[in-house]
Amino acid sequence: MDWAALSLSLQLGLATLIVLLPISVALGRTLAVHRFVGKGVLESLVALPLVLPPTVLGFYLLLAFGARSPLGQLFGSVTGHSLAFSFEGLVLASIFVNLPFAVQPVQRAFESIPTDVREAAACCGMTPWRALVAIEFPLAWPGVVTAAILTFAHTLGEFGVVLMVGGNIPAETRTLSIAIYDRMQAFDDRAAGVMAATLLALALATLVATNVLSRRVGRRDV
Amino acid sequence: MSRDAGLSVEIAQDEPIPLHVAFTTGPSEVLAIFGPSGSGKTTILRTIAGLYRPAHASVRSGAETWTDTVTGTFAPPHRRAVGFVFQEYALFPHLTAAGNVITALGHHPRAERRTRAEALLNLVHLSVQMTRRPHQLSGGERQRVALARALAREPAVLLLDEPFAAVDRTVRRRLQDEIDELRRALDIPLILVTHDFADVVRLATNVLMLERGRSVACGSVTTLMSRPDLSWLREAVGLGTVFDASVTRTYPDRGLVELTFDGGTLLAADRDVAMGTTVRVRIPAREVILATREPEGLSLHNVLSGTVSAIHADPAFDHVIVQIAVGRVLLLAEVTRDAIGRLGMAVGMPVYALIKSVSIDLLTVQARDATKAR
Amino acid sequence: MTLVRLIGLVAVLLCAAEPVRAQKAPLVAAAADLRFALESIAQRFTGESGERVELVFGSSGTLTRQIIDGAPFELFLSADEAFAETLASAGLTRDGGALYAVGRIVIFAPHRSPLKVDARLEGLRSLLARGGVTRFAIANPEHAPYGRAAEAALRATGLWESVKPSLVLGENIAQAAQFATTGNAVGGVLAYSLVLAPPLSERGTYALIPDSLHPPLRQRMVLLKRANETAQRFYRYLQQPAAREILRTYGFVVPQG
Repeated sequence: MDWAALSLSLQLGLATLIVLLPISVALGRTLAVHRFVGKGVLESLVALPLVLPPTVLGFYLLLAFGARSPLGQLFGSVTGHSLAFSFEGLVLASIFVNLPFAVQPVQRAFESIPTDVREAAACCGMTPWRALVAIEFPLAWPGVVTAAILTFAHTLGEFGVVLMVGGNIPAETRTLSIAIYDRMQAFDDRAAGVMAATLLALALATLVATNVLSRRVGRRDV
Repeated sequence: MSRDAGLSVEIAQDEPIPLHVAFTTGPSEVLAIFGPSGSGKTTILRTIAGLYRPAHASVRSGAETWTDTVTGTFAPPHRRAVGFVFQEYALFPHLTAAGNVITALGHHPRAERRTRAEALLNLVHLSVQMTRRPHQLSGGERQRVALARALAREPAVLLLDEPFAAVDRTVRRRLQDEIDELRRALDIPLILVTHDFADVVRLATNVLMLERGRSVACGSVTTLMSRPDLSWLREAVGLGTVFDASVTRTYPDRGLVELTFDGGTLLAADRDVAMGTTVRVRIPAREVILATREPEGLSLHNVLSGTVSAIHADPAFDHVIVQIAVGRVLLLAEVTRDAIGRLGMAVGMPVYALIKSVSIDLLTVQARDATKAR
Repeated sequence: MTLVRLIGLVAVLLCAAEPVRAQKAPLVAAAADLRFALESIAQRFTGESGERVELVFGSSGTLTRQIIDGAPFELFLSADEAFAETLASAGLTRDGGALYAVGRIVIFAPHRSPLKVDARLEGLRSLLARGGVTRFAIANPEHAPYGRAAEAALRATGLWESVKPSLVLGENIAQAAQFATTGNAVGGVLAYSLVLAPPLSERGTYALIPDSLHPPLRQRMVLLKRANETAQRFYRYLQQPAAREILRTYGFVVPQG
């Protein structure tokens, strides 16, 4: 078991969550509640990573912040190391890749709040902020937690994009899934097996958790 | 903080649905907005509440301007003193009945909110159900929570969107009584949207009738119900005069009560009304028989003397509507063309209106004395 | 509940990861054929000097690409000279580097395979003629020098066209070895340095392919501009007798001097 790789995977998941969750809650709610020009386009863009092959995502991400890109060079001059093939680069890539997992459950949760309930909150004298905190969030939080769990689990399992954008650098970008690949090429099937089983267990735990939560959402919806 | 003369509303728009109305309403009035679905009734309520912004509109409550598209003024709903009872009640599912009411008590200090919520729920007879969640309540109970919550805001106007659409007949009658009771206790206008004319007849003092976004009739219920020419109303609900009368005598052994109105007395068949109360009365036009001479030896109790004030013959219908002035009340009678010819009926003619005591519908009954008369 | 436990686990592992990250062991990119040989050399280097290097293996082409895109390697051991030269001309290296070894290819068959291995690839020829080649593994000639060599050898023996439809291409020579040993392929053309190591040597048989059948696998290494002291020392170490001896045991031909 490559503990550094496991730790890295968990750190990546957590970092992605911390950055992405506030964005996805705001975005998810906006898509759920408001109607505006270009909403359909935005929803499609959010869903795009679901259907794009990881190599396509990896290609464009490398183009966007590899060492030859303006962004990559800016980052390099400020920090002294490259954005691609670094943990920070992975987090950035992870944010894009996980957008649909973080936004869609949140959007569904806010959509399931009937419009008249929202309007009633306003008619009860609650400011939009108070209505959000006292009425909407208590009703939508299972969706937010689902989004968090899915994002975390999906990040743990990411391979293609991580390999292209991060390479296989130990303790920097060698996540657990990359480590499995590496161990197989070293003909170390035993280590690969242990790590694969770990990821499998984590994936199962995720599914169970999401299942339990979605039943909770159902019960609240009366 | 006194409330000035109620609400004044003006709306003009062509998109997305045409809507052109203008009306005012005052304290203790119940204005029913009546019309078929799609006529724009709910849009009017939403405009008053601030949930909708038409292209051109003005909504004023007392001295406050809530909406004015000319000056660009628009107060969002949470800054308007409106109480809104939504068609599906829109209760907050994660809060108890008391919790729901408390959300509208934000303008009171935290320590007082619970007791105030309890008082409001008592007012709508829901003290037992205070700690239940909406999904544990029946339809009628949910509506009462919604009412209590709307009233908690101490609104300047109470808006009800199809309040009886989701409940069955027995519950409906009880709810109507409750709302009527409430109306008497409050001194704010109540605006109620409905597509069921029975609601209008039972509860409203004034009615605004909408068809495809335009007002086809607006005024007090009594006056409108005395109009002989509202053919579409005739088709929809049937014509019948509506007016208020007070109970001056009761004959429990005979099963009759004597009602006195502004034009005479009537004997109606009823056992339950108490002396001195005010009743809303409806006499279907079809139940009124006309006579040119005072008849004798008939079973019916009511023979009213009046003058023909109008005759309305609609080519679409076989029968003719005759309007008879009996004192200050304008009675409607539906008779055949043939009868008109035979009796030589003409405007200005003295005539007798014959009404069976069982034909008189007693609608809302005031529980107390009419000391709060307008 | 799961979330709380997860956070707890993360906290523990974060502490476990710290020591690994704290060290500044230079990153060394190496062609996949060097996996076992270089690990052995690095171990010796650490034993003698007390300094560590971090090895990352892949196909030479992919690693070159990564370096151009900013990957923080300090030393690159290519499986050919062309990729090393690419980096030098891009101005990313300190100098033209040094030739550190010449590699060899073998034909390999896992134990229960119908393929018979021999230097002239006659076994492969007859299996192909019988239609018995399901899959045959080589590294991708596009970006793996060992794949290029495999293609050259197959062309030289006139077998390229007939084996092409059954080829399965590994992303690098180690992946090709993976394919060749898992029983899904009848065999493949692999790196001599890989089949000499126990994980592979006990899984099948092999025969050395004459180096006359393909351009020489001259392997060049270069120090990148950012190379630190340790990387430079390792670079020099690789050219010394001890390291060269290890390379020889893994089937490489080492330069004189």
